[in-house]
Amino acid sequence: MARWGMVIDLHRCIGCYSCVVACRQEHFVPRGIYFNRVLVTEKGKFPTVEKIIIPAQCNHCKEAACVKVCPTGASTQREDGLVLVDEKKCVGCGYCVVACPYQQRTRFEDPKLEYFPGQGFTPYELLGKQLYAYRPGTALKCTFCVERIDAGIKKGLKPGVDRDATPACAIICPTQTRTFGDLDDPMSEISQMITYKKALPLHPEFDTEPSIYYLRM
Amino acid sequence: MLQRQPFEYMVKYTQQKSWIDGRGNFIAFAFFLGGISGGLFMAAAYFNSILGMFIAVCISALMGFSYMMHLGQPTQFWRMLFKPKTSWISRGFIFIFLYAGFAIIAIILAQWFPSATTAIAVFKILGGVFAFAQSIYTGFAVSYVSAIKLWNSAILPILFVVCGFSGGLAILLGISMGGDQVAAIENITRITLIAFAVILIVYLWNTTYSSTVAKDAVARLLGGNIAAIFWIGVVVLGVVIPLTISIVTYFTDTSSTALIITAVVTEILGGLSLRYVILKGGIYIPLTSGE
Repeated sequence: MARWGMVIDLHRCIGCYSCVVACRQEHFVPRGIYFNRVLVTEKGKFPTVEKIIIPAQCNHCKEAACVKVCPTGASTQREDGLVLVDEKKCVGCGYCVVACPYQQRTRFEDPKLEYFPGQGFTPYELLGKQLYAYRPGTALKCTFCVERIDAGIKKGLKPGVDRDATPACAIICPTQTRTFGDLDDPMSEISQMITYKKALPLHPEFDTEPSIYYLRM
Repeated sequence: MLQRQPFEYMVKYTQQKSWIDGRGNFIAFAFFLGGISGGLFMAAAYFNSILGMFIAVCISALMGFSYMMHLGQPTQFWRMLFKPKTSWISRGFIFIFLYAGFAIIAIILAQWFPSATTAIAVFKILGGVFAFAQSIYTGFAVSYVSAIKLWNSAILPILFVVCGFSGGLAILLGISMGGDQVAAIENITRITLIAFAVILIVYLWNTTYSSTVAKDAVARLLGGNIAAIFWIGVVVLGVVIPLTISIVTYFTDTSSTALIITAVVTEILGGLSLRYVILKGGIYIPLTSGE
């Protein structure tokens, strides 16, 4: 069974936010909610200052804290490693939002929030409400574009190789910062990157075993 | 420095908001009510106060209402019974039901079947055990969050339960005014207040050792934007005033109604302030060191 993961090369990332936009478009993400963020910081003091740009999203951890703390079983982990939320079971307690050490979950509070306040919903937003009718009060987060992966696999495509089976953030990136693939396949591109280029996860001391690794952190 | 710009989210110190801002205020209130409900029941069961046990169950019901107000989908609350293996919220939910059940049976027996002393004792003990569980589980739920070092402490559950117990004793003192057990309740309250103060100091001091983020969080608590609520609410109202009144009544051997009511109200406000500042003070370890 595959275990999906991602390697993000921080030296390639130029902070264009294409991944953030692609994710929002792909999932009609409501305003104020972020499945994918690009964090910007600086390191060092003048004149030796380095700008660091870090794309961050749900790490789909192998030992996900959010899955353990969920009181209803709404947060689950599939065999392929994807951590998903069943919004029909989610009671909206916010424990997963608080417990995630990477703070990549949000509780969807206000379904009436418009992208352009006071001007009504755009046709795009209205379409989103039909296709992705997110339940108010429930937890939302990155899904690694699970519908793309599942649909692609059904068609015989390979996630991480074929565009139609790969997460939107990975395929949109103009600098090929993100590499998606199977962590359990030692010959996959991301496994090779982790082993030979020494990619590391964020904060391994949290003991959550994230599925997203970073190169040149 | 706390997060300033959206892109600094989780790069600079980021405060948790889900369990304190907006609807999150209800969960702080629920944690507080759960603590004093458990504390009041334990104290009332010990001192054979049926009224105290009844008020404890009523406070527990209020706590349930506060939880419902916090939930995003309250109609699904029954699903919270299903994961006690790993979730402290699920365990707490079960504790609350068991506590309420045993407590109500104990109250009914004590009120209408006072001769059934063995059964009353059994249900009081069972109710007391789960009252303690209800009081302490919120501390475990909060301390499980490993990325918020202010919370991730073994002392926090103990702090919550002692605070809850002192609040419960304060309410019992208030409803027992003029009775023959006031002196005994006051004695236990004195000891509990001193224990609470000591545990609070140890907790804050020990937390500063765990990480720089924790040290910063404690610094905010003591001198930052929530310092006023901490010093006035937790320290002055929650410890200094009731302890001073308690010491004065001990040495003067008087039990003024006004002083007792003052002590009751200030202790309750202190307990509420404690839950609020602990939840408000929760800061995440940054994803990367940006400073």
